[in-house]
Amino acid sequence: MVALARKTLVYEWRRFLPAILAVGFAGLLQLLQLALVLGIFGATSVYITGSSGDVWVGFPGTQSVGSGRSIDANVESRILMDPAVTHVEPYEWVDGDWRGAGNTGGVSVFVSGIDTAADGLMFSKVLSPALRARLAEPDAVVVDRADLGKLGVALGGTATINGRRVRVVGVGSGLRGLGGVNVLTSLDTARRLDSDNDDIGPTYLVAKIADPAQAKAVARRLRGSKAFGPYTTWSAADFARISVRYWLFDTGAGAGVLFLAGIVFLVGAVITSQTLVGAVQGSVREYATLNALGVGVGALRKVVLEQAFWVGALGLAGATVLGAFLLLGARAEDVPVTLGPVAALACIALVMGQAAVSGMAAMRSMRRIDPATLLR
Amino acid sequence: MNATMPSPAATARAPILRADNVCKAFTSGTLRTQVLNDLSLSIDPGELTLISGPSGCGKSTLLAILSGLQKVDSGRVHALGSELGQLDLRALERFRLQHTGFVFQGFNLFPALTALEQVELPLNHMGMSKQEARERARRSLEEVGLSHRFKLRPSELSGGEKQRVAIARALAKEPELLFADEPTSALDAANGQTIIDILHTIAHTHGTTVLCVSHDPRLVAHADRVLAMEDGRILSDRRLGAGASKETPP
Ligand SMILES: Nc1ncnc2c1ncn2[C@@H]1O[C@H](COP(=O)(O)OP(=O)(O)OP(=O)(O)O)[C@@H](O)[C@H]1O
Ligand SMILES: [Mg+2]
Repeated sequence: MVALARKTLVYEWRRFLPAILAVGFAGLLQLLQLALVLGIFGATSVYITGSSGDVWVGFPGTQSVGSGRSIDANVESRILMDPAVTHVEPYEWVDGDWRGAGNTGGVSVFVSGIDTAADGLMFSKVLSPALRARLAEPDAVVVDRADLGKLGVALGGTATINGRRVRVVGVGSGLRGLGGVNVLTSLDTARRLDSDNDDIGPTYLVAKIADPAQAKAVARRLRGSKAFGPYTTWSAADFARISVRYWLFDTGAGAGVLFLAGIVFLVGAVITSQTLVGAVQGSVREYATLNALGVGVGALRKVVLEQAFWVGALGLAGATVLGAFLLLGARAEDVPVTLGPVAALACIALVMGQAAVSGMAAMRSMRRIDPATLLR
Repeated sequence: MNATMPSPAATARAPILRADNVCKAFTSGTLRTQVLNDLSLSIDPGELTLISGPSGCGKSTLLAILSGLQKVDSGRVHALGSELGQLDLRALERFRLQHTGFVFQGFNLFPALTALEQVELPLNHMGMSKQEARERARRSLEEVGLSHRFKLRPSELSGGEKQRVAIARALAKEPELLFADEPTSALDAANGQTIIDILHTIAHTHGTTVLCVSHDPRLVAHADRVLAMEDGRILSDRRLGAGASKETPP
């Protein structure tokens, strides 16, 4: 079989270049936008995704990690009674007002009081064991390296939170939050910084279970007891999703992302289909000749669809290479970007969908192919 | 019109292509142009028939109708035993795929394909094996004298060579009917001569019925039969080989 679609694409690559670029850049835009949004809003669940807890226990109706209320400390014994649970630790969330030595005014910070034991669950994935151990010192805090400037301190410097003195004993990375600066302390320090006298226990309890795959089932099982006052449970994955979704829609960013994705899709599809239509029109007499010789219109349509497919595939390849470089660059510059397999697949589907839509639009222009026009 | 209605006994030697009382008009806006006016003709197999006449007299339209590319307003066209008016679009495509070849004034070659590929492409759609398509394409190109040009693209071929590739493309299908509309008008005299010679040879060696439209008087000498057209009618019908010339009433 003579590969007409591919040979034309190679021979007349200049003609198809705009379509490939349009598809590629549209794909790249979708990819970067998605990675950026997931990266930025993923920061709202760093407390969960950066920790190795499988089940979270908190106040019923909590919409994001940052909006928890304290629960009864005795819930811990109820959780520990479950045979699947191997470890439980409290987690304190305190909203704080940071005053640094530098000229930075007040900075709103989220204080995370965590278990500093070596096997502690909280932030186990982003905090080195050495840093965790140093948090055990009284009034010690750890912040993200990228937040130092904003906080107006240097490593080893002191500042106050809610009027109490703290000392920066270390800096980590991957600790940045959204809407405020994350400050890590020990549970004791966090309780000292808490100015809210109504708090009767920890904000959350975080549990490790024997088989993490069972997190959903265990979380469901632990729910329901009212003996210790109100609390509810989530699997870590569910709670992270709730947190990210709350932020996406609370800030309107979700709608913005969808809107922008729609526009990028549309613009890319228009440019691509116009290019393909141009290619069809450029070969309309040749197609008509083939049709005169008896080659069916269906077979000719397939040529255009195949060209659309290759345009999509080439655009995708370009977007992938460029996107990988840009994402790596962004990571190196501490720009929060995340791209999971689901998001990557969504981008691929979007790009190929765009090529398919363009190919169909171009196919419509083939209705003008009439071999009788060759006889004049 | 009796001459065009064959008796059962004559069916075996029936003309391969026959038009009966064909009318065709075009309307653009309120203006109606009668292009073919109650035209009847029959084409004999294995000959090169030339249709000549002044510009705008309806030659191309006649060719489009005889080859099933255009519908008639009234009248009938019989080709190889089928009545073209009764075939739907798909059936017409299939008919053309199996039985007809075309050569147009423009060469209409794909810029990206080599000469060999241009000829192979329609063969691929005829359900032929890859080897057979390639073999036939080679033979056709050799027949039109392009054995040394297999790998060249249209941009590397001369005008005459391009038209010969187009002829090879039509010829490789081994059609019973070969239609050519002004195949030489974009070429100089020498190249035009070559093309008409090739068409003539095809008719005689393959038994292909070649119907060629042209207003080039130099081609007349090469045809077996010349039909002169004017105002949508056949004015004269001359057979050159026999030397005899018979006039048919319009
Ligand atoms: N699709 C169409 N719509 C309207 N008019 C048409 C159409 N096709 C042909 N005609 C008209 O029909 C007439 C005959 O056209 P045709 O192409 O058959 O002429 P021709 O004999 O081939 O002329 P030439 O030698 O210049 O090629 C012309 O007057 C033309 O304007
Ligand atoms: Mg014409």
